[in-house]
Amino acid sequence: MNAVEVVELRRVYESKRTPPRVALDGLSLSVGEGEVHGLLGPNGAGKTTLCKILSTVLLPTSGSARVLGHDVVADTRAVRGLIGIVFGGERGLYGRLTARQNLRYWAALYRQPTAVGRERTERLLARVGLADRADERVERFSRGMKQRLHLARGLIGDPRVVILDEPTVGMDPVAAHDFRALVDELRTEGRTVLMTTHDMAEAEAVCDRVSLVDNGRIVTTEDPRTIGRWLGTYERVVARGVPEPTLTAIRELPGVTSVTAVGDEVTVETGAEGATAGVLRALVEAGVTAVSTGRPSLTEVYLHVIGDRGSRVR
Amino acid sequence: MRTFFAAVVFQALVLRRLADLHALITAPLFTLALVSIMVAAGRADLAAHAVLAATVIAVWNMALLVSGEVVSGERENGSLEALVAAPGSLTAVVVGRTVTTTVVSLLSLGESALVAWLVFGVRPQVHHVGVFACTLAATVVAMVGTATAFAGLFVLARSARTFQNSLSYPFYLLSGAVVPVALLPEWVQPLARVVFLSWTTDLIRDSLGQAPVPDAAARIAVVLGLGVAAHVAGLYALSRIVNRVRADGTMGFA
Repeated sequence: MNAVEVVELRRVYESKRTPPRVALDGLSLSVGEGEVHGLLGPNGAGKTTLCKILSTVLLPTSGSARVLGHDVVADTRAVRGLIGIVFGGERGLYGRLTARQNLRYWAALYRQPTAVGRERTERLLARVGLADRADERVERFSRGMKQRLHLARGLIGDPRVVILDEPTVGMDPVAAHDFRALVDELRTEGRTVLMTTHDMAEAEAVCDRVSLVDNGRIVTTEDPRTIGRWLGTYERVVARGVPEPTLTAIRELPGVTSVTAVGDEVTVETGAEGATAGVLRALVEAGVTAVSTGRPSLTEVYLHVIGDRGSRVR
Repeated sequence: MRTFFAAVVFQALVLRRLADLHALITAPLFTLALVSIMVAAGRADLAAHAVLAATVIAVWNMALLVSGEVVSGERENGSLEALVAAPGSLTAVVVGRTVTTTVVSLLSLGESALVAWLVFGVRPQVHHVGVFACTLAATVVAMVGTATAFAGLFVLARSARTFQNSLSYPFYLLSGAVVPVALLPEWVQPLARVVFLSWTTDLIRDSLGQAPVPDAAARIAVVLGLGVAAHVAGLYALSRIVNRVRADGTMGFA
């Protein structure tokens, strides 16, 4: 049995004032038990909507979603006992309570016996590095500290499936590194983790598989290293003062996927190993010295992948 | 029950803002104003009624402004989604928090009595302690039920503030807090009788007097019945809210 099984899930937001917006458009996804699965995609791709449906706080328009065999619509009670959720952002904690009071309260809401709740609270405070600040009011916490407390809150109910929506937003690099270690521990404990992120490096570091999401559908599900290779494959060269004949020659080079000129600035996108070297060689031979190269952002990789598979996606 | 008790403790921890305790600050001032009028009119014997009025106003205000905002407050805080996704029941959270608020609001009774005694030397005597205590207990139950309904209604309503305002001053009259219901115009009296506090205030006034309290048990049962009816309406409103925001995707909206 899969930990998460989503079939043809569709969610349309309807409003009287605005046209209907399709957030999920027949999305299907399977996540095995004990797997750490990443959802990558641009803003508005449907990642958070999927997390909310799986967390039972949002109803799908059609399709089905199951967590450890329990339907998220028909069997919400069972699902809620199996999941832990962390929604991104600073909100959602009780600022007037201390970190310890927050966790103890949530432990009770997750029906943990008092002694167990207290023991888990202390363990999680230590685990997320907040043991020294446990008795401080949360309203005084930095954004990163709040995010760490959110993580602890998500784990307080000893969940078998952990849903993390942008869990490292606002964390400093050290805390983000600790977060990766925490996810590794969750994997070791046999928990299933479904996490959304914008950070490819993070996905590569912690995920067993990664799904690219766009326009409410899964574009592809791959080993994170494959997606990492895509990032290495696609490059961008920006140059100024490129003569027209050189530009024409670059357009013809193998591996060049697009050439755009805005005023004096030319941007060349490449999508094959060695292609960038060819472009640079052509520019240098033409005497162009105002040149820079860079990796595309994750969004640009999405666009490449989505573009490559566009006919299937849309 | 674990969720309920956790919510009771939780509310005791968060109920420390001056804005939430506003009613407890104004209760002694109301007492001063109302008892002054009684004393100046040569009716110090009615001072106990003034103490009752100030208490009812404080209890009602805290139900409206604190308990009534439990669910909308969670929504504004961004914690409603996590709360709904937790196995503990949202209803238990609302009721637990409302119980604490209601019990805390009853401190206004002690405050008002103390002010009446210290400033005017008036010491309200309770002649029927049993009726008085039972009425207070039934009132707590009914107030919790009514506040649950508020918590639901204020989320469903487009403008909770308008609701809260319209439910304050008119209810000081309909509750019989300021003027006994029997002295209100006849056409108002049936309206007042569906407000559980109108039964509470009559019962408490009667328990202060020496004369036997007629039909005490039945009248206390009416207080409880009206409170339970409000509670049922509140539960219905809460379940509708949760279903509605799950359907339209606005659970996280502030």
